[in-house]
Amino acid sequence: MNNPGSFLGGAQDRLLPASIPFRFFLAASGFHVLAWAALFLGADQLASYRGGPGLVLSAIHLATLGVFTMTAIGASYQLLPVVTRRPLARDWPTRLSFWLICPGIVALTWGMAQFNQTAMHVGTDLLTLGLLIFGVLTADNLRRTGGIPVVSAHGWLALISLTALVVLGALLVRDFDSGFLNDRTSFAILHMAVASFGFMGALAVGLSLVLIPMFVLSRSLPSLPGWAQAGLTALGLSLFSIAILLNLPSLKWFALGAGLGAAWCYLWQMRTALKTSMRKRLGVPFVLMRLSWGLLVAALILAGLTLAGAPIPNVGTLTGFILIAGWLLTFLTGVLYRIMPFLASMHAAGKSGLPPLLSDLTADGPLKLHAASHIAALAICSAGIVLEATLLLQIGIFTGFVGAVSFSVFAVNVALKLGKPNHIP
Amino acid sequence: MNIVDVPGSHWQAADGLHVDTRGLLPPDPMVAILWHLERPGQFGPVTAHIDRNPVHLFPELHERGWNYEYALETETEVQLVLRKAT
Repeated sequence: MNNPGSFLGGAQDRLLPASIPFRFFLAASGFHVLAWAALFLGADQLASYRGGPGLVLSAIHLATLGVFTMTAIGASYQLLPVVTRRPLARDWPTRLSFWLICPGIVALTWGMAQFNQTAMHVGTDLLTLGLLIFGVLTADNLRRTGGIPVVSAHGWLALISLTALVVLGALLVRDFDSGFLNDRTSFAILHMAVASFGFMGALAVGLSLVLIPMFVLSRSLPSLPGWAQAGLTALGLSLFSIAILLNLPSLKWFALGAGLGAAWCYLWQMRTALKTSMRKRLGVPFVLMRLSWGLLVAALILAGLTLAGAPIPNVGTLTGFILIAGWLLTFLTGVLYRIMPFLASMHAAGKSGLPPLLSDLTADGPLKLHAASHIAALAICSAGIVLEATLLLQIGIFTGFVGAVSFSVFAVNVALKLGKPNHIP
Repeated sequence: MNIVDVPGSHWQAADGLHVDTRGLLPPDPMVAILWHLERPGQFGPVTAHIDRNPVHLFPELHERGWNYEYALETETEVQLVLRKAT
């Protein structure tokens, strides 16, 4: 009855070859393991980390560039053409961007760990070129879109933020040579805020407006809160940038207020989707996604405590940890749990025979081990940062490492089954 | 979800239920089609009218044991006939 040959029918022009998104996802799962490994080696520096080269900076970028950016690019290449109903103009630039970004991340993070300036410059240049290709392809797709305007608006916000964070990142790397920045720490904080809330954040919350209702099977979300969310995010980032660049610290409070407002809009929409869900069992992915939403709010509250100078030991480091490992990493792995088997099922069906069942493509054991390890790692590391206890941090980071390895087992398993669809029972 | 909340429109014809999701934003077409398929006693045929090829729907159909065939496939409209696998 099914017509496998035309399974993807007219959508084949919008669905990229599976190898493109999956190379980004598999690389992300590898960088995930490396991020925890680098952090383990630099565990004694984590609690008191205030910036500068070393293993902690390397671990941060293995997570932000290696896991978040690779996942975001893979998902954007795959999903934006389907959501916006406009195919990418060509396939080859997506492959080229991978072969620039992936070695770029390796060179940059190696250079950061070893304080090798040549490696950092090579990595920065490769990354800039690769991200430029991603930016041009995505901008071209968004420009021609006839899809969902509020999702496109988040895409534009992410691209503007990407441009800003690449410029800031390049300045910070050059500053290692000549020290021309007067207030390096403030620029580094702005770089992190634009990367986390602007680029990654806008993509995560923008694609959530379509992905979460699709995952839980609820009606499409009203667009007004989505526009408010985009507007408040843009306002918050603009105010924070002005506060840093013009040295107006009081503006940071208004930026934080806008950020909390954007988070409220986002969480209200996610709650609406969950309340009207047709799917009865949401499973492990939504344990992680719900946790990540709570940690988004926790990160913003911690940012406020940092601004207020609250007497919590290492509160700035804790804020960064909860932002990166808490909100973004937890959310992205939760999304990947759902999206990798889903994409594999769509692609495998185009090859031969019936599409594999989603349940056949998911490996429950590794996923549960990852989720448990990840949640435990967040709790133990947070305690370790506040207590400045290196042993506690090592235990927590090793737990996170075990979870990351387990996640990689899941990712490789999906990719192997995608390669051999007929072998699925 | 009550029937009045289900996106799109539907009607009963001689060849079975028709569900029209044209003009809806994602994921409303998928939600509407699956809602009708999950109604007690529904085994098809159900004809789904969609204005894009529903690539995200197929894994969900297969997971629920529904077969599909293309009745129409153009640039602007796809019609799928859905039947519960026996």
